[in-house]
Amino acid sequence: MRPPETGPPTALLCGEIRTCLLPARQALDIRSAAQFLALRADERVLLSERPTLYARSPDTLTGVDCPLPAADGARVRAVGTVAAHAVLTEGRVLQTSARFRAPASGPDQRRPWGQYLIRPGTVEPLGKLPREPVARGVLDGGRQGDLDVGLIADALLTRLLRHPLLDQRPPMRSRPTRLRWAALPAPSGAGPSLERFTLAEDELRTVRLRVPEDTPADEIAGLCADLALHDWLLTTVVRTFDGIRLGTGADRDGSSVLRALGPAVDHLLHLWMPRARVTPALARLWDPLEERPGFTRQWDALVHRIRDQLALQAIGPARREVEPAP
Amino acid sequence: MLVFAASDKGGTGRSVTSANLAYQRALTGDHVAYVDFDFGSPTAAAVFDVPGALRGTEEPGLHSYLEGEAPEPARIDVWRQTEHPQLRTRPNQSGRLVLFPGDAGGGEFATGADALERCVDLLLRIDNEFDVTLVDLSAGRSYAVDMVLAATAHPRMRYVPCRWLVFHRWTRQHVIAASGLVHTDHGILRGGVERGHDEETLRASIRFVRAAVPDPESPLWAQGSPAQAAWMQACDEALRRLAAEHRIGDSVVLGIVPLEPILQWREQLITEEDVLSTQIANKETLEALEEIARRLTDDAHWGQP
Repeated sequence: MRPPETGPPTALLCGEIRTCLLPARQALDIRSAAQFLALRADERVLLSERPTLYARSPDTLTGVDCPLPAADGARVRAVGTVAAHAVLTEGRVLQTSARFRAPASGPDQRRPWGQYLIRPGTVEPLGKLPREPVARGVLDGGRQGDLDVGLIADALLTRLLRHPLLDQRPPMRSRPTRLRWAALPAPSGAGPSLERFTLAEDELRTVRLRVPEDTPADEIAGLCADLALHDWLLTTVVRTFDGIRLGTGADRDGSSVLRALGPAVDHLLHLWMPRARVTPALARLWDPLEERPGFTRQWDALVHRIRDQLALQAIGPARREVEPAP
Repeated sequence: MLVFAASDKGGTGRSVTSANLAYQRALTGDHVAYVDFDFGSPTAAAVFDVPGALRGTEEPGLHSYLEGEAPEPARIDVWRQTEHPQLRTRPNQSGRLVLFPGDAGGGEFATGADALERCVDLLLRIDNEFDVTLVDLSAGRSYAVDMVLAATAHPRMRYVPCRWLVFHRWTRQHVIAASGLVHTDHGILRGGVERGHDEETLRASIRFVRAAVPDPESPLWAQGSPAQAAWMQACDEALRRLAAEHRIGDSVVLGIVPLEPILQWREQLITEEDVLSTQIANKETLEALEEIARRLTDDAHWGQP
């Protein structure tokens, strides 16, 4: 456990998570995962096998001194460090996550570096932090030159994807997704809440949260990584049906159905386990998403659809070609 | 699968034909990327009718990305951003069609080790996401050609299937030049071997596309005199012999795109509507493009010549 964070209370927590399929023919086992995620010699990779195979790299820090994105165009310079780490789930889905917390205000002048390094993952504004505009700025994306945690997550992803353990033979085509999140303090006494989950562009999602002030940044990033993982699973499995024309007779031997759906069965269907690594206090933020749009409901329908398609293939095309009675 | 489009000379229809191949593959349901490595003169934005990218995007293009100035290159969703009236309504069951534009005024540049690593990163990421990726390369033995020869020989790319299309027009000079681009001492084959490719494997992955070929039988020439017809036949015969002598004969030709008047006027995508309803394009052109697009992934056309 890291020591409790000291210093002024957190006014805003932000981050971005990139999620992609690990480009390797075989999923990494726990030993390889540890080797893959050993970003630092001085800190160990966190490993756990229940309820899913999970490996988390140590944090890396990136020093920043640049304006924060702000929806109202305000220029707020901020200095500090952004923390980033990577997570591998079941040796198959790779996520990189960058995040920072910011206090409500900081000194008007930049301080010596050593003082920023005391609190890793904290970015201090010079002066007051306009937290609402900055939260919106982070979610909508800033201007060029503004602090972009997505780039830090992407740089870590690029670094990991060059790792010699990867043979660059993913079992299926898939698209990486990005999930940006911002957490503002909840009113005193209130519990955490999920204000909004949006699917912005094709592969961009944004999450806006309210959390009690003492919630650790790690736990919030963990919740968001859990949302990002399951959103990516849904998105990817929905798309496995792209390009196969079901029920047209064009695919008589069923080989294209098998080719498209087989990898999803081999590599993805067993990964669905929402809330598995979320603290109990934050786990209930899943509830509204399960209510509507209903993540697990859609997932179950997809899994049934895939199994039905494969069952139809198993029956064989000959028996299915029964002429409908007039 | 990565498909590299090369040509020895400009004006061979390389960009416009490969853009049409990308379009045809997307129509069949594949997710397709079109990567504009024609650094001297990026033209793909014009062919796909995406005007934002024509004026040079706000976002960084491939050139900035490879030079390390931008962490990610811009992408343009063609169905969504095109101003081509028939492309605006994305056809049912079509795949994605994404253009990675070059920077306006990019120009050629020397490839360093960093640019090469970034090129490998990019090609791998795109290949992991798209079914077919067409990479349009600057004409000649350009930096673009050298860079992708080095990138595809990189150990990280050893399992990525790569194919090459060399475009040329159907004239003496173009036939000789296209053969030279592949087979001479300064050609793609020798350049590839120097960068670690296996010569036979690389040779087997190269096919030629004859573009803007006048078909003597076509109604376009029906008005000509018998003397003209006989002359064209004789030329065609002579060119076939020349091509065979230069090792780019029929056995290594993936397809032939007939001379298409509208492509002489304007670089554009040929749609079904152009053939069926407005009838400004010839049916044979569309059929040729559809067939070449299909053959890109048909192994029967990629055996050892």
